[in-house]
Amino acid sequence: MVSSMAEGLIYDIKLSSVGPGTVTEPDMVHEPSDMDLAMKLHYLKVIYYFGKQAFEGLTTLKIKEPLFMVLNYFPVICGRFRRAESGRPYIKCNDCGVRFIEAKCEKTMDEWLEMTKENASLEKYLTPNQIIGPELGFSPTVLLQFTKFKCGGMSMGLSWAHVLGDAFSAAEFLNLLGKVVAGEKPNRPINLAHLKTNSTNPESPLTNTEDPLSVKRVGPVGDIWIPVNNCKMEAFSFSVNATQLSHLQSKISNNGTDFSPFEALSAVIWQCIGKIRPESEPKVVTICKMMEQNRADGNNLLISVVKAAYPIVEANPSELAALMKNAAIDKIEKIENAIEKDNGVSDFIVYGGNLTFANLEEAKFYEIDYRGEKPIYVSYRVDGVGDEGAVLVLPGPPKNGGRTVMAILPENEATELKSELKKWFMD
Amino acid sequence: MPEMLPKYVKLGYQYLVDHILTFLFIPIMAAVSIQILKLGPEEILTIWNSLHFDFVQILCSSFLVTLIATVYFMSKPRSIYLVDYACYKPPITSRVPFWTFMEHSRLILKDNPKSVEFQMRILERSGLGEETSLPPAIHYIPPNPTMEAARGEAEAVIFSAIDTLMQKTSIEPKDIDILIVNCSLFSPTPSLSAMVVNKYKLRSNIKSFNLSGMGCSAGLISIDLARDLLQVHPNSNALVVSTEIITPNYYQGSERAMLLPNCLFRMGGAAILLSNKRGDRNRAKYKLVHVVRTHKGADDKAYKCVYEQEDPQGKVGINLSKDLMIIAGEALKSNITTIGPLVLPASEQLLFLFILIGRKIFNPKWKPYIPDFKQAFEHFCIHSGGRAVIDELQKNLQLSAEHVEASRMTLHRFGNTSSSSLWYELSYIEAKGRMKKGDRIWQIAFGSGFKCNSAVWKCNRRINTPNIGPWQDCIDRYPVHIPEIVKL
Repeated sequence: MVSSMAEGLIYDIKLSSVGPGTVTEPDMVHEPSDMDLAMKLHYLKVIYYFGKQAFEGLTTLKIKEPLFMVLNYFPVICGRFRRAESGRPYIKCNDCGVRFIEAKCEKTMDEWLEMTKENASLEKYLTPNQIIGPELGFSPTVLLQFTKFKCGGMSMGLSWAHVLGDAFSAAEFLNLLGKVVAGEKPNRPINLAHLKTNSTNPESPLTNTEDPLSVKRVGPVGDIWIPVNNCKMEAFSFSVNATQLSHLQSKISNNGTDFSPFEALSAVIWQCIGKIRPESEPKVVTICKMMEQNRADGNNLLISVVKAAYPIVEANPSELAALMKNAAIDKIEKIENAIEKDNGVSDFIVYGGNLTFANLEEAKFYEIDYRGEKPIYVSYRVDGVGDEGAVLVLPGPPKNGGRTVMAILPENEATELKSELKKWFMD
Repeated sequence: MPEMLPKYVKLGYQYLVDHILTFLFIPIMAAVSIQILKLGPEEILTIWNSLHFDFVQILCSSFLVTLIATVYFMSKPRSIYLVDYACYKPPITSRVPFWTFMEHSRLILKDNPKSVEFQMRILERSGLGEETSLPPAIHYIPPNPTMEAARGEAEAVIFSAIDTLMQKTSIEPKDIDILIVNCSLFSPTPSLSAMVVNKYKLRSNIKSFNLSGMGCSAGLISIDLARDLLQVHPNSNALVVSTEIITPNYYQGSERAMLLPNCLFRMGGAAILLSNKRGDRNRAKYKLVHVVRTHKGADDKAYKCVYEQEDPQGKVGINLSKDLMIIAGEALKSNITTIGPLVLPASEQLLFLFILIGRKIFNPKWKPYIPDFKQAFEHFCIHSGGRAVIDELQKNLQLSAEHVEASRMTLHRFGNTSSSSLWYELSYIEAKGRMKKGDRIWQIAFGSGFKCNSAVWKCNRRINTPNIGPWQDCIDRYPVHIPEIVKL
């Protein structure tokens, strides 16, 4: 549930559930793919900040109605996890629904955004923080929290279990919600789940290959789906506007090779983190990118691993950027083999297994409009990140054209990283 | 061939006894006609002239006949017609799938896993489907039953049903003469009937009544009251509203016997328009034939079998005793004993009497004869109080699956909506196109007290499959097969 309120910031919390309006056929199930199961310990948290006009005059029931309609198209996120006899998790599409949380905040939205500039972890009060477990069958995979601010603005906080899909899927769901509110009919087939077949275990040759570097096996977490961290992880974010961004890109570019904003930012941050972790330099990093075209249901991640052969501290960010640019994408079969070794029962993490850089530049977060209103700001982070940390490069607000970077790192590293980064963005 | 013989014997016997008067009448008429024909026309004329008809005699005789006829027609009870009725259709936002109910239960009763287990067992075997509805306040974890929310539910259900009824019957609010609202567990001040008067601006001389605390059979009690009032007030109509408001009565404790109603009771309501006006005779759907009420409250066990009380933690709920089905069976027997002679054909009554005498005098070991009510009625509306009730009645009255289909499907789609369930069932039969002019319907309701009430209706006109109604968007999916135990 929502963690205890900090000094009564968030109050008047009410819980209920919203499910699909029409009945899903009985015995429908969804079997997550291997890639999905690799992500099951991670949770996407997205917060959309809307101004006063978006939700003005709406009662709770009026906010819930379009949700009932849009969930007709998402029977999978309304279901609950079960384990097959082999121990492999699957989702029973039993219409249980998403958790719907209403809350109030005693600050105005502007005050809040100021506060979170300094302390991004305050944002955890705007998203539901329930993980899947200890009872899989009674744990919702998607939770929505609507927090009303003193000024009338509303934040829509989504907690989306990564096992259901990547950031693109989450954004698609919320964008469709906006469309349904506007009265449009979603262009999506109604039933993407299927009737349970008598567990057909594919006879894949499980060669005793080594696990790929990108996917890290963690100790069995049982039915409590969150990785165990050795230190407390903290999130902090900073924005880079368009001018700063192009400035940075030109600084980094080398012999005419241009680097994308993601590569430029990631290289710089990689080096900064290298500086603040002298004893345990992150020589290996994981890079995550979402597929945009030909997407199947669930996670469509392109994961690659980059190894630096020399100490990061001495490296030139341009070299690091070049390494990232030329990174070879892991074959999906390698990852699938790792998961299939014991039929999806083992637990893995992707974010934080190595220092992870996620390229979410193309995520369509700002495409949503709720009753004609665009969000003022969208905040995105991942919970359940491993100890090595993760850096997410997100699109900035459309007006600024830059990027927002959200870093999830061990808590003592946050301040040091901030001071390192200042050197890059001061001029 | 030998098996067929008793069947044809029974058929023959039924035909003979049911039409005994015809069978007696025909030979007598034949004999008289033969006698008259034997006499010949001149003889008939002579006999006719010998009957000295005096003017005064003719006048007095006709006066007497007219007097007797007038007294007969005046003292005959007025015919009460059911013009039309409307049932409340809950919105999709109120839908409660099984697993949502279980998950919420698990979160609310986190310290009582055994009670949660119990609720799961009940739901699996309840006969309810995945589309039943609970009011918005009950969707919260924990439920949030404020007075305002209860009023909100009452307004939503009652006003929606009445609006639909007014649309179907084209009646104006100012034309309503009698208003009866029955809602057992929610009785605010001002009453729900006052709420209706206020919303629709009914006349200041309206005769309004609010029945509360009378349980699931209160719907038929309201019909009975309306009927009695319509006998006294000529040329009037009565609006009857039957509902049960769930919001304030959701049990928040963990006692198992008191958790049962949470699993079964769901949102629902119906509005019915009754009339004794001559003008409504042709457009009315049904004619009220009988209402029979049986009250077993004099027996202590029956009185206590559905009992509202506080649990050891002080939470209020309705306790259902383990003897419920036995008491229901006995109440039904009493009711049948009264209604049987009113509706059963002579053949069945004679057989029943014969076997009764036989058991008393000849051999007590003879099995008691259960009259075949299928001969008296084409349709049965059994209050969908729960799967057990419907099973029990199906067995006791020896009904086929099709006869109890309306009850089972109403339980599946809408749950136990208390006093309004009978109207959802009637609506099902109409939506399936099975209601024909002249069909007789038996509505049976059970309720706390312990009461068993019956109403007998006769279909008054041809009924086209309705295009607005609670079943309009799902009737094609029904009937569904309801498994003994649903796999959750």
